Amino acid sequence: MNKKEIKKTPLHTWHMENGANMALFGGYEMPLWYSSGAKREHLAVLSTAGMFDTSHMAVIMVEGPAARHLLQACFTKNLDACTGRNKTPLVAGRCTYGAFLDDLGHVRDDAIISQVASEHYMIVVNAGMGGSISRHLKDQADWPDIEIRDCTDGVGKMDIQGPMSARILARIIRDPETVFDRMVYFSFKGFFDDTSPLSDTVRLLDGTPVMLSRTGYTGEFGFEIFTHPDTIERAWKMALEAGRDFDLTVCGLAARDSLRTGAVLPLSHQDIGSWPFLNNPWSFALPFNEDKTDFTKRFIGDEALKHSTTPEYTYSFAGFDLRKVSHGDSTIVTDPDGTQIGVVLTCVTDMAIGRTEGKIYSVSSPDRPEGFNPKGLACGFVKVTKELSVGDTVELKDGKRTIKVAITDDIRPHRTANRAIGDMMPDAD
Amino acid sequence: MKEIDELFLPGDLRYTETHEWLRNDNGNVTIGINDYAQDQLGDIVFVELPEVGNTFEKGEEFGTLESVKAVSEIYLPVSGEIVAVNDALEETPELVNMEPYNNGWLVEVKPDEPDEIDTLMTSGEYLEMLEGEE
Repeated sequence: MNKKEIKKTPLHTWHMENGANMALFGGYEMPLWYSSGAKREHLAVLSTAGMFDTSHMAVIMVEGPAARHLLQACFTKNLDACTGRNKTPLVAGRCTYGAFLDDLGHVRDDAIISQVASEHYMIVVNAGMGGSISRHLKDQADWPDIEIRDCTDGVGKMDIQGPMSARILARIIRDPETVFDRMVYFSFKGFFDDTSPLSDTVRLLDGTPVMLSRTGYTGEFGFEIFTHPDTIERAWKMALEAGRDFDLTVCGLAARDSLRTGAVLPLSHQDIGSWPFLNNPWSFALPFNEDKTDFTKRFIGDEALKHSTTPEYTYSFAGFDLRKVSHGDSTIVTDPDGTQIGVVLTCVTDMAIGRTEGKIYSVSSPDRPEGFNPKGLACGFVKVTKELSVGDTVELKDGKRTIKVAITDDIRPHRTANRAIGDMMPDAD
Repeated sequence: MKEIDELFLPGDLRYTETHEWLRNDNGNVTIGINDYAQDQLGDIVFVELPEVGNTFEKGEEFGTLESVKAVSEIYLPVSGEIVAVNDALEETPELVNMEPYNNGWLVEVKPDEPDEIDTLMTSGEYLEMLEGEE
């Protein structure tokens, strides 16, 4: 990729001026960490709050009477049965996570779809994927009454994540009590386009309309904030100023990677990709019926998944200390007999967790042992050809190092992502 | 990320192409990684060092530094015997980031050829090399 093709977010200059260690990710030059270091950034999201520039994420708008029909045909989640425990239909103001597959059941990308209005959906896909996913949707939409727009360059996005995030936001938005009222996990309010009737619902103190979403990709309580790209730097600086009293820490992609791994969230094109989207920790993104014998709707890739005979299983794992291995095809997974059974998809250190007497605690576990001061645990995902059970141990070998890890059904305990806002603002200031 | 003119490269040390520093301490050589290397690696979270008494050839891997980003090998810039290792790094590996030239040192070596250190780069030569890579 030559320098001309490297994309920059509207906050790029701010990152450079504030000591960020930059790296290429998804075609963008993005901060990996700032001078405080990735470890402190990771821990800040558990103890206070962290703020991330996520403007590299791509945004696609789908509008028209046939919009829902198109998404039902292309997206793995059943939009008519995806919200809450009772699996009620997606409605305006709510969002849902799923994936776009190809005919082989392989992952094109994962996404969060937010229903903006009855015939208007906003899709957030990964960096650099706006073009290909919008083309894919257009290829499937052979109806005249549907509009699909890649709005990636027209939207800025920043995430504030961590237990103090609502308190920080309360200081930079108008009428926070009303905004936060009944704002449950995976719901949103407001819109960043001034022409939208929703734009009056959430405004920053300076009048900037924003879309505020109770989502994020850290596993912790927090918000994603969508704005016009011209206003994001102002919003970023307002949040930084308001966050001073709450130890708000700016965070780069390294902390985002270790936080999302501890939260058992996949990185698209690394943990999910060109193999069937099946037998992995993310079956909640598929529209299974109750006994998991069939799907509750048809969608692209469904037949391939139903008839898949590929013996491939993706599991999360946690190590026994902080040492990690590199990930990729050259890092192998062996069973206790030394037989190679797979590859390592992700291996990072979640620096907020540790094992005490075999049990994993995090720095925010209410039942953590006294004086608990973890150094972190290696964790991530393996893709293997053998069915394994929680507690099974395997070895990961990258040519330099071998580490023993245990298959898990979760990694970082006591995550806060779906806590009620009221719980996180006990005595609103 | 530090700009080149923000790097601290003490003038009394010698430097290698692989970003280690060396200091001649009465015939023995103390070795660490320099400010550029610690800035590039990010938070050091684990350090693996050899045993005292181990011997290594020049250019041989003698340990690893694990950062949030990756596990990196460290190479001995001179042949010799390890006479001391920085045990403090076991508990506080972040010293490598915080004080790379002081409490973040890695090993002390008794070199096979004490003059070898003089063939390594001065801070000025090392800086020129970094500027050439820009």
